[in-house]
Amino acid sequence: MFDTSPPPLIEAVGLGRNFETRHGLFGQRRDVWAVRDVSLSLARGETVGIVGESGCGKSTLGRMMLGLEAPTTGTVRFDGRDLSDYSGAARRKLARRMQMVFQDPFGSLDPRRSVGAQIADGLKTHSIVPPEAVQAEVTRLIEQVDLPAAAAQRRPHEFSGGQRQRIAVARALATRPDFIVADEPVSALDVSIQAQVVNLLMDLRRDLDLAMLFISHDLHVVRHLCTRIAVMYLGRIVEEGPADQVFGTPAHPYTRALLAATPSLHPRQQAAADRILPGELPSPANPPSGCPFRTRCPIAEDACAASVPAYRDMAPGWRSACIKPGPAAGGPR
Amino acid sequence: MNRAVRKLIVPGSIVATIVLLVLLAPVLPLADVRGMDIPHRFAPPSGAHWLGQDEFGRDVLARLIWGGRASLFIAVGSALAAAVIGTTLGLLGGYFRGAVEIVTVRASEIVLCLPPLLLALLVVTILGAGTWPLILALTILYTPNYARVIYAATLQVRSLDFVTAQRAMGTHPLLILWRTILPNVMPPLLVQMSLVVASAMVIESGLSFLGLGVVPPTPSWGLMIRAARGAMELAPMLLVWPSLALAGTILTFNLLCDRLQSVLDPRATTAGGALWLRNPRPRTRRAATPVPRQEQAPAPLLDIRGLAISVDGGRQSMGLVENVSLSLQPGETLALVGESGSGKTLTGLAMTGLLPDSLSITGGTADFAPRDGAPIDLCQLDEQGFRALRGNEISMVFQDASAALNPVLRIGDQVAEAIRAHHSPSDADCDAAVVDLLRHVGIPDPERRMRAYPHELSGGQRQRAMIAVAIANNPRLLIADEPTTALDPTIQAQILQLFRKLKDDTPEMGMIFVTHDLAVVAEIADRVTVMYAGQVVEDGPVSEVFARPRHPYTAALIASVPEGGAERLVAIPGTVPTPNAMPPGCRFAPRCGHARPECTLAPPPVDTPAPGRRSRCIRWKEVT
Ligand SMILES: Nc1ncnc2c1ncn2[C@@H]1O[C@H](COP(=O)(O)OP(=O)(O)OP(=O)(O)O)[C@@H](O)[C@H]1O
Ligand code: SF4
Ligand code: SF4
Ligand SMILES: [Mg+2]
Repeated sequence: MFDTSPPPLIEAVGLGRNFETRHGLFGQRRDVWAVRDVSLSLARGETVGIVGESGCGKSTLGRMMLGLEAPTTGTVRFDGRDLSDYSGAARRKLARRMQMVFQDPFGSLDPRRSVGAQIADGLKTHSIVPPEAVQAEVTRLIEQVDLPAAAAQRRPHEFSGGQRQRIAVARALATRPDFIVADEPVSALDVSIQAQVVNLLMDLRRDLDLAMLFISHDLHVVRHLCTRIAVMYLGRIVEEGPADQVFGTPAHPYTRALLAATPSLHPRQQAAADRILPGELPSPANPPSGCPFRTRCPIAEDACAASVPAYRDMAPGWRSACIKPGPAAGGPR
Repeated sequence: MNRAVRKLIVPGSIVATIVLLVLLAPVLPLADVRGMDIPHRFAPPSGAHWLGQDEFGRDVLARLIWGGRASLFIAVGSALAAAVIGTTLGLLGGYFRGAVEIVTVRASEIVLCLPPLLLALLVVTILGAGTWPLILALTILYTPNYARVIYAATLQVRSLDFVTAQRAMGTHPLLILWRTILPNVMPPLLVQMSLVVASAMVIESGLSFLGLGVVPPTPSWGLMIRAARGAMELAPMLLVWPSLALAGTILTFNLLCDRLQSVLDPRATTAGGALWLRNPRPRTRRAATPVPRQEQAPAPLLDIRGLAISVDGGRQSMGLVENVSLSLQPGETLALVGESGSGKTLTGLAMTGLLPDSLSITGGTADFAPRDGAPIDLCQLDEQGFRALRGNEISMVFQDASAALNPVLRIGDQVAEAIRAHHSPSDADCDAAVVDLLRHVGIPDPERRMRAYPHELSGGQRQRAMIAVAIANNPRLLIADEPTTALDPTIQAQILQLFRKLKDDTPEMGMIFVTHDLAVVAEIADRVTVMYAGQVVEDGPVSEVFARPRHPYTAALIASVPEGGAERLVAIPGTVPTPNAMPPGCRFAPRCGHARPECTLAPPPVDTPAPGRRSRCIRWKEVT
């Protein structure tokens, strides 16, 4: 099934981002690599989930793939062309095809302008429709996300969190993008409202053939929505592959730990203490040598400290960065 | 026209009148400002000269209006010019950062190194005294103020998501600055503007007073004050008029800018106030209505019946929590679930006497069984009574540990403080108890860590420290309000494990666990109480409720969790009703898939589908 996969729409190669911190004006510089050596590609119609704990670099990766943040190393190719080749007007023109939906439904809309005006921005900037058709198009977009057309005249504070998030989706869709980065779009929402937005995103993916990068720390939502999943730890992808495989028979110990830590409506009856990962995420300013997960890994051994484990293919399109990958301890099946 | 706009009328019309007066000065039938009339020096007000005459017999009213023309022109002109330049510099510097910041904001700050008066002197010396050199000097003087304020505001706004969204959309940076950032930095800009106009008027007066500003005989308020000072004994009123005009205009400008700011604020401003200040009276507003009670087999630890919490409204009070009943046995963990705004937190706060001041308990009883003595009705307890219980018999753990812990106290001291509030151990005993507690909640190396400040701990460890404070005195009732919501999955699992351990170690302790996450409920609780719009809609043992919910809301909540592989999630349409617009009859009816016309006729009664279970739905039989 992977040999017939379409060519990638967007492709990150060896992406890294370093936030240098400096103590005082002449103080020592310290490297803080938020993202390191990440390669990932998305095809049309594909939803790739990025999961991991806070500070593991999910958002930074998403912003680099949209070109909102310049990578320190590596490149992002969109439709076969390097994003850094574009500049000025050409870059802004390209922006039409890539959009973003944010986590905080209360911070992602301008509080001072009407919802309709904000949706119309993209239409006007890129002349998506002739000027006289802008109103009609705004109405169409608002109805597409299941809100009444009258919503256009209102300002964001008159809406609930879920409604605002749908408005943000409508704004992102205005430019008819090919690629959307959704950074924790449902995390701030109540459960019953969350389902509204998840369903909306699923419909859109089906109807519009979008490529979507879906960033979340909620494994249940990711599993429900995504075709492929990348698990990040300390700035690196530690496992990536089809959703069913990664969550069904996880190959990396961290993926297993993450799955075990996720509360479930049907709690497993295994001894609770076994499922709990000790310790905390190390600081990205001071990562462990070798395997980044080694300080918390239940099956770590001396060899893990030697070097960053290379990816091993578990199956076509499924890779894991662990020297002992497999559904349980003890090497590949 | 809303209330905020109406508030603009008074300052707006005063400013309009002042502006109109000075603009129309040439066409008004005013006396000649230079026409001297030496015989009538210092003449008091008369029919011809309403405000009297000055030391050269000139008409004071005319000079006041013409003087205002000069003063206002200089002050407002330079304030506006500096605003335009400074805002531009600040916007560019704050948005583009880097080299642009250096040539804009940083460059303009050089001016700040010069004392203002010296700068004005410099300009005036080079260009000569007069109106235009003064405007130039003041503009240079005030530009960096604007640049800095706008720079700071821009830095803040540019990192907000809606600006990033504009960038992602490919909007031209200058258009983003104009359309998105400028309106959002308007409030600080207006504040700055009102300050600068006022300060420019004062400096204009000062410089004219020193002979460096407006050149006599052209009148200005500063010059008038200067002249009047010389004749203070003879004609004190001459000093009063220009001073009044100056002070009045400055005040009106400040008022106008203030009101403009609130008009431009898109959100209705909510009344501020020290919401968390306790007040000592009992937090009830009614005569106790005895609720009939049936006797139960084991004495519950906490028995809430018919609890109601309302906002103390001036006109009418609004019910936030209504008729909530639940009971908790010793050693039991009860989960309180529901969407935001359903009243979970308020119910928890009411049990600790920590309700915000604007709220009060308006009905019901909450019998709490303390370690010894008769049950206490928490609904009738006053602040002093709560103080004896809180942290001792009843403790609370909050979602945001960094807000709940005192940032300037070491965590060991905070735990010790909790112990000493109710006991008086020796220092050594207390230290040992603190180390034990910190170790108990899983803080590594407690002897050293007890000297850490909250900000030196990670989020998970702060949560552990707060739990240590809460359990310091072995409370009988622990109320935990979303204690794991802000944590990462692996840390959340650690903290949930800690709560399980606490349950095992203290089998007598009852716990109310407030959460919106059904999966967390399944992991930790024995019983679950589902709240919707301020009411309990369903209640029962967790396994039974999750296996077979007996209320459409619970059923929909469970179906909306993306677990279990359903192709499509069940989304509950619409949103939770607000307290001032509760639907009649069943509060869930507008969103309920099982609703029938009779559901909206009367509030559904609480029914008992099975022993130990409750449902507030008339059709519970058909739900599942
Ligand atoms: N502008 C910045 N300057 C310095 N450090 C940064 C900056 N932006 C991000 N970081 C750091 O980079 C790391 C990754 O950040 P990122 O926002 O991508 O994490 P995340 O996985 O999205 O976390 P969350 O789930 O909390 O949103 C963090 O350690 C963060 O502190
Ligand atoms: S490489 Fe070693 S430390 Fe890293 S995940 Fe695999 S077993 Fe654990
Ligand atoms: S009473 Fe009627 S509207 Fe209310 S939950 Fe039951 S079926 Fe739905
Ligand atoms: Mg993030």
